[in-house]
Amino acid sequence: MEGGGIRIEGLHKRYGKGETAVDALKQVDMRVAPGEVVGLIGPSGSGKSTLLKCLGAVIEPTAGRMILGNEVIYDNGWKITDLRALRRDKIGFVFQAPYLIPFLDVTDNVALLPMLAGVPNDVARTKAMALLQALDIQHRAQAMPSELSGGEQQRVAIARGLINRPPVILADEPTAPLDSERALAVVRILNDMARQFETAIVVVTHDEKIIPTFKRIYHIRDGITHEEIGEGREFD
Amino acid sequence: MISLAGRDILHAWGKFIFTGIGLGLLIGVTLTMAGVYRGMVDDGKVLLDNSGADLWVVQKNTLGPYAESSSLYDDSYRGILALPGVAQAANVTYLTMQIRQGENDVRAMVVGIAPGGAGIPGWPPYLVAGRQITRSHYEAVADMATGFKLDDRIQIRRNDYTVVGLTRRMVSSSGDPMVFIPLKDAQEAQFLKDNDAILQNRRRIAENPAFNRPAIPDLLDTVITSQSSNPYVNAVLVRLKPGYAADEVVEVIQRWKRLTAYTRSQMEDILIGKLIATSAQQIGMFLVILAVVSAAIIAFIIYTLTLGKIREIAVLKLIGTKNRTIAGMIMQEALGLGVIGFVVGKISATFWALIFPKYVLLELRDAFSGFIVLMIICVLASIIAIHAALKVDPAEAIGG
Amino acid sequence: MKRQPLQRRTLAVLVVIIPLFALFVYVALSSGPLAPVSVTVETVKARSIHPVLFGIGTIEARYTYKIGPITTGRIQSLAVHVGDRVTAGQVLGEMDPVDFEARIRSREATLKHAQAILREARARQAYAQTQAHRYEQLLAARSTSEEIASTKRQELQIANAALSAAQEDLSRAQADLAATVVQRENLRFVAPAEGLVAVRDADPGTTVAAGRAVLEIIDPKSLWIHTRFDQISASGLTAGLPAHIALRSRSGQSLTGHVFRVEPRADAVTEEMLAKVVFDSQPLLLPPVGELAEVTIDLPALPLAPVIPNAAVHHHDGRIGVWRIEAGALRFTPVRLGAADLSGQVQVLVGLKAGDQVVVYSEQALHAYSRFRLVEHIPGLAQ
Repeated sequence: MEGGGIRIEGLHKRYGKGETAVDALKQVDMRVAPGEVVGLIGPSGSGKSTLLKCLGAVIEPTAGRMILGNEVIYDNGWKITDLRALRRDKIGFVFQAPYLIPFLDVTDNVALLPMLAGVPNDVARTKAMALLQALDIQHRAQAMPSELSGGEQQRVAIARGLINRPPVILADEPTAPLDSERALAVVRILNDMARQFETAIVVVTHDEKIIPTFKRIYHIRDGITHEEIGEGREFD
Repeated sequence: MISLAGRDILHAWGKFIFTGIGLGLLIGVTLTMAGVYRGMVDDGKVLLDNSGADLWVVQKNTLGPYAESSSLYDDSYRGILALPGVAQAANVTYLTMQIRQGENDVRAMVVGIAPGGAGIPGWPPYLVAGRQITRSHYEAVADMATGFKLDDRIQIRRNDYTVVGLTRRMVSSSGDPMVFIPLKDAQEAQFLKDNDAILQNRRRIAENPAFNRPAIPDLLDTVITSQSSNPYVNAVLVRLKPGYAADEVVEVIQRWKRLTAYTRSQMEDILIGKLIATSAQQIGMFLVILAVVSAAIIAFIIYTLTLGKIREIAVLKLIGTKNRTIAGMIMQEALGLGVIGFVVGKISATFWALIFPKYVLLELRDAFSGFIVLMIICVLASIIAIHAALKVDPAEAIGG
Repeated sequence: MKRQPLQRRTLAVLVVIIPLFALFVYVALSSGPLAPVSVTVETVKARSIHPVLFGIGTIEARYTYKIGPITTGRIQSLAVHVGDRVTAGQVLGEMDPVDFEARIRSREATLKHAQAILREARARQAYAQTQAHRYEQLLAARSTSEEIASTKRQELQIANAALSAAQEDLSRAQADLAATVVQRENLRFVAPAEGLVAVRDADPGTTVAAGRAVLEIIDPKSLWIHTRFDQISASGLTAGLPAHIALRSRSGQSLTGHVFRVEPRADAVTEEMLAKVVFDSQPLLLPPVGELAEVTIDLPALPLAPVIPNAAVHHHDGRIGVWRIEAGALRFTPVRLGAADLSGQVQVLVGLKAGDQVVVYSEQALHAYSRFRLVEHIPGLAQ
């Protein structure tokens, strides 16, 4: 298997037991290459969020196989014990609402992850500064999250997702609260970052504004994924 | 690693400080309560210290002179003085009464002190202003807490006294300030209530045919004189010669003088064990309830503060923060709140202790153990909050 | 790296926290066991002091005359009232004589009777004398018998004896009458000396027992003060010392006097010395007998000696002494004290010299290890 990215094969998730059991995910197959941004779309209740939570190692699937980077993390059961470290080191999260830590300033919000991993504060902050520069938001480095605009917050959130250079970034409706110009700017950043850091990015969305930008789209319907070729429209 | 708790406190420091001050006032009340108890005990101890005695000789089989009334003849001290081991023995009277000064009256304990100058047992051991009594009548040394000033004229029963000196912390076991007057005046004050009573008593005696006999014309006068003098005192304060054991001298006094005598430690037992025991228990119960209430409030505050951050905690968990880090953050915040509360409490207790009518003694020991207990309470209180925080599902951070 | 917003916030927090902790440290150090004890000091000066004795006494009259009947009876009249001045020999009143007049008349009759008896006895004796003389001559002339003559001689002897008896009876009757008259006189109350009526205990018509005083007369010129001094503080009390007398009814006004006599007997029960103090000049308005008086007696000034206020005297470790400040630490110096005056100054005989610094006032009882702070006044005192 060629290196990196995400591979999901036959993932199945059942909530509950017996007669009340609901199969949220029935047959999910997905493959995202490093440096690729893939859209995951589907109506409400189709299983998008469940898939994202499984991928994020927050809930446990019932069956199937998940490979992150070169590591099998799930094969009819977790293959690694420290899911928390997995989340911290391998996965970057970008949420619909940015969920920045309100009592830390922008730099420390971004630098928090390496700090938690034991990286010295200065090193972590330098790293965060570099990333903020890359995202063109270094001028707000000392601001508190409450002082930022929505787009700025989202960019900080992306920076936080990227700080550990995870092989995978999971973005949940990252553009929902933004107008189309800013939404597109965010998507462009995600694309730039994917290329720059060889990251596989999954963007869960139903934002019509950005769907045309994906080259590949996984459509999920009743717990089953369908791969489609997107428009892959270039920006500008 | 940065301190998440520190950052959170800095971020919401206004809320934090105000909560801390509120908590501090509660802790201040708790510390004051302990101080009130210590003050009561201390009142008893300074009463014994200030009397300057090693032994208290009182009426047989009484717990006098502080816990029970006691009276013995005022010449008993001569016999006691002759016993081996006794260096000094002095009469003393105690009488709690209202003392008038102009329009006001003050509740005070009037102490009658034997003549002889400073250093005699019973005399105030130190002054803050004025001088000791030099005249054998109608001079008084009053405690500051009475509110009297030097050269004030105060009225005790039938006579006016001039305040010539002021003391500090000379109180009875119930915290009433003391007023020292010469022994003879005090004996008279104990006995002669007021002019009306004296007159009535004289009339009553004169009407008794047994005393008013025409054949013995001087009998009536003699009876009246003997009835209006007071040869009693409440206790004899004894100082021992070096090298004599208090218990042995007590033994001798009880055996040969047929009076009861107490040593310092026995007296302390009487004062603290018997006189203020129920009050102390009362305050002790209050203290326990206050501690429980404080603990509940601290737990509630920490819990509320944590619930306010539940979203952030979910995000922290999602991005891989260890449980230990999150628990540490909550506990540090709880301890920080406790420290601020303690500081505010200690300061406020110290300042408002001054305006209490009775003595409030804030002991370092109490403050220290209070601090330890507070920290333990904070740790315990944060456990509920930590439990709530750790139960948060990181999945909550992901919408849908 | 610049961290502007946090710095501002940190600053704000420090502005609150640092004063709070500073206050906390101040509070911890300035109250409770760590706090220094405020003390005031005074320099010992060599001074001469005037010791003064202080006593309490009552006004008494040196001479009090209690006048009453010597026999039980009823008062007939009393001519004087309380406050009246009387002169020596003045009749003040009288007891009811009841049957005294009749008894005098009876005695007079007895006297007359005795005189009559005497006259009769004289007559009988003169006759017997004549008879005896005549029969002696007759016997000598042998004209009567020896027996008759001796009878006449015996009759003369009997008449002589009867005469003596009658003479003695007369004397007795005379004495009886005189005695009754004197007794009658004694029913009158007569002033023994010049003075002032202080008490009138009964009114006419009252029956009083023998010996009970009806009137009390005092000599106002002889008022003195029966003064009691505590034995402990009465050294140097001798007759002749000048005294200041303050009467309870005239507070603020001081009269002068001197010690007239120190009683040779002290009061063993109250442990007091007794002395009589007299006024130098008679007060214009006489103080009532029995009024309370405060007497201060000035003793001669003592030679120069180190003097300290009595508030500086402390008892520590079974000794009397003072606290001195030496090399920044408290040290207890035992002293021997001498005389004191009423303003609270006391001489130090042994233990201190002029120029030493002694602690006078302190906020608490002192110990050798007490931390202290010198102040002008003990804080918290209303000035």
